[in-house]
Amino acid sequence: MTPIHILVIDDEPQIRRALRTILTEKQFRVSTAANGEEGLALAAAEKPDLVILDMGLPDMDGLHVCARLREWSAVPIIVLSVRDSERDKVAALDRGADDYLTKPFGIEELLARIRVALRHSAQAGGKEAIVKAGDIVIDLARHQVTRAGVEVKLTATEYKLLAYLAANADRVLTHRAILTSVWGPAEADQVEYLRVYIRQLRKKLEPDPGEPQFLVSEPGVGYRFLTQPGALAGH
Amino acid sequence: MARSSLSPITRHLRRLPGLLAAFALAAALSIVLDAIQPAPSLPVVVMMHLFLVGALASALGWVAGLTAALASAVLINLLFIPPRLAFAVTRTEDAALLILFLSVSLVSIPLLGRAQSSLRDARARQRELTHLYELITALAGQRRESAIARTLASHLREALQAQSVEVVIQPDPKREAVIACAPDNAAPDGQPDDVVPLMTPRGLLGEIHLWRDTGAPLSDSTGQLIRAAAGQAALAVERAALAEAQTRAQVLEESDRMKTVLLSSVSHELRTPLATIKAAVSSLRSGAVSWDAAARQELLAAIEEETDQLNYLVGNLLEMSRIEAGALKPQRQWCVLADILNQTLRRLQRASASHAFEIDVSEDLPLVPVDEAQIGQVFANLISNSLKYAPPGTAIAIRAQAKADQWLTVSVANQGPQVPAQDLQRIFDKFHRVTAADQITGAGLGLSICKGIIEAHGGRIWAENLPASSPYTFAFHFTLPLTLNGLRHPQLPQATD
Repeated sequence: MTPIHILVIDDEPQIRRALRTILTEKQFRVSTAANGEEGLALAAAEKPDLVILDMGLPDMDGLHVCARLREWSAVPIIVLSVRDSERDKVAALDRGADDYLTKPFGIEELLARIRVALRHSAQAGGKEAIVKAGDIVIDLARHQVTRAGVEVKLTATEYKLLAYLAANADRVLTHRAILTSVWGPAEADQVEYLRVYIRQLRKKLEPDPGEPQFLVSEPGVGYRFLTQPGALAGH
Repeated sequence: MARSSLSPITRHLRRLPGLLAAFALAAALSIVLDAIQPAPSLPVVVMMHLFLVGALASALGWVAGLTAALASAVLINLLFIPPRLAFAVTRTEDAALLILFLSVSLVSIPLLGRAQSSLRDARARQRELTHLYELITALAGQRRESAIARTLASHLREALQAQSVEVVIQPDPKREAVIACAPDNAAPDGQPDDVVPLMTPRGLLGEIHLWRDTGAPLSDSTGQLIRAAAGQAALAVERAALAEAQTRAQVLEESDRMKTVLLSSVSHELRTPLATIKAAVSSLRSGAVSWDAAARQELLAAIEEETDQLNYLVGNLLEMSRIEAGALKPQRQWCVLADILNQTLRRLQRASASHAFEIDVSEDLPLVPVDEAQIGQVFANLISNSLKYAPPGTAIAIRAQAKADQWLTVSVANQGPQVPAQDLQRIFDKFHRVTAADQITGAGLGLSICKGIIEAHGGRIWAENLPASSPYTFAFHFTLPLTLNGLRHPQLPQATD
């Protein structure tokens, strides 16, 4: 079996060295590029399975690299950013990035994000019909949600929201992406709808709605439906 | 412009009523005298006319006087000197009287006219001086260019009875000009009638643009008045610039001092975790000691904690520089406060394990319009502060409640030492620390950042020593408005579709 190929685009030599060492140790094949042009050329030549992209590159904005990659490729992109600004992350996600990490990050976190992104790109043909998180089971084919074997009654909108989150399990979804998908493009800015329905869903699904384990908010960015609570936490 | 080409005609038309009045009065006098029976003697008629000419010259100026004199001479000749209704003088005595009338008129008219106009000038100058004095008084207190321009424009307009006055102040061509106009802020279209520069020894500071109804050239005295006013205004602008430069110098000096304090504080703060990291890493790398598994874990945990501390410190520095630069613009949207707190607590999990937490922040509180990341930072800073000052093993309580559906009040209470009353306000100042700097880590920025963020959200933050009856000793409180742009979050129906 050929190893999974990861392309790291980052201008910091220390980061490239660290990621190359760690990811190679984890049985990935790693290529590195120090700027956007080189990264785009390598991506076209080597067709990596996943791209780790730094937002602050010397020759072009990471957002731009992201958009250029998306013109011809569906390769999963994980964005690294030192900017602690939620708007940059949201912009990258809205331009096709799959996930983000803010530097500095723990390596377990990065590996978890890589696993999720690879899982989703492998499923791109046909998604899992059944998503499990703790004792919650969401059957996307039969539109059925059970908790500890008991069916949970959801309204149509609640189900639509949960189904969208579950179909993208463990990935971060921006407020805008969720609102557009569930309520339609006209409601893309009505974050308060989302707040109210997430609150309802938590009441029906979470063991402790005050401290949600599955329907987790990413402040300023969006929501993540975690199938394994704690696996992605601690960033 | 059409206006300026018309103005010579208007100028003559303005004299027309005076001329007509003079002519009419002379005619009326002649007709009345002619009607009186028995007819008055010629000397009486001439004296009466002379009186009229004198009166008109002093009241309406020399043009009216001259008109009246000429009209009177013609009428006297026609009506009172035989042969009647003919331009002829037969008697030497009549001719002498007529010539005498014309001579006296021609000699006295200019004198009377000038007396009249100098009286008018004197009154005008007095009025102008009064205005100039008022202008100087009004300008004395002005420290801003916009106020100076406004004051100058309105005073000049009133003093000159001008149609419109525009004042443009632009001491620095690179900066946008300050423009004021009287009345109401719109200058008329077209070229102004007069342009007066605002000059100081340093150079041109701006211009005064005048639009006047008369269109006549400015008289000497009015010109002097405007130049005097312009001089005063230019001085006021200079004064304002000097005052501003001085304030700026003071601010720079203060910020310089702050930067020095910050640098020394920050380099100390950065070195402390770096020292730990360096020591731990070099120990692990050195082959001299073979560490057992537990010791290795201990050292690695220390490295990770210290990197988190470094990251937290850098984050606060960044936030502080944003606040300083006025770039802290909250991206407010409707949020669930409990979500923000949960995320923050998750982030601080490792650091906060030493204390017990008692949380009462319901997820059912009204949505609050805030910048999630910034309010997360406020929670992180307040919790970090409590973790630092309250001894390990004690409890930290975080509570939030809605007040009158207008405000969310949040408190973070701990069981740490109380703060002297006089310091309760000052702990939110930059670099202020109640205890000696070396005992507690942190650059003294955390609380001032909280203040910056909460105030940018339109809220208030304060600290309080709690009474002995409370299980806690010290608390931070802050408020957040529940309205965004004056609007409350619309009450959504309980998700029923």
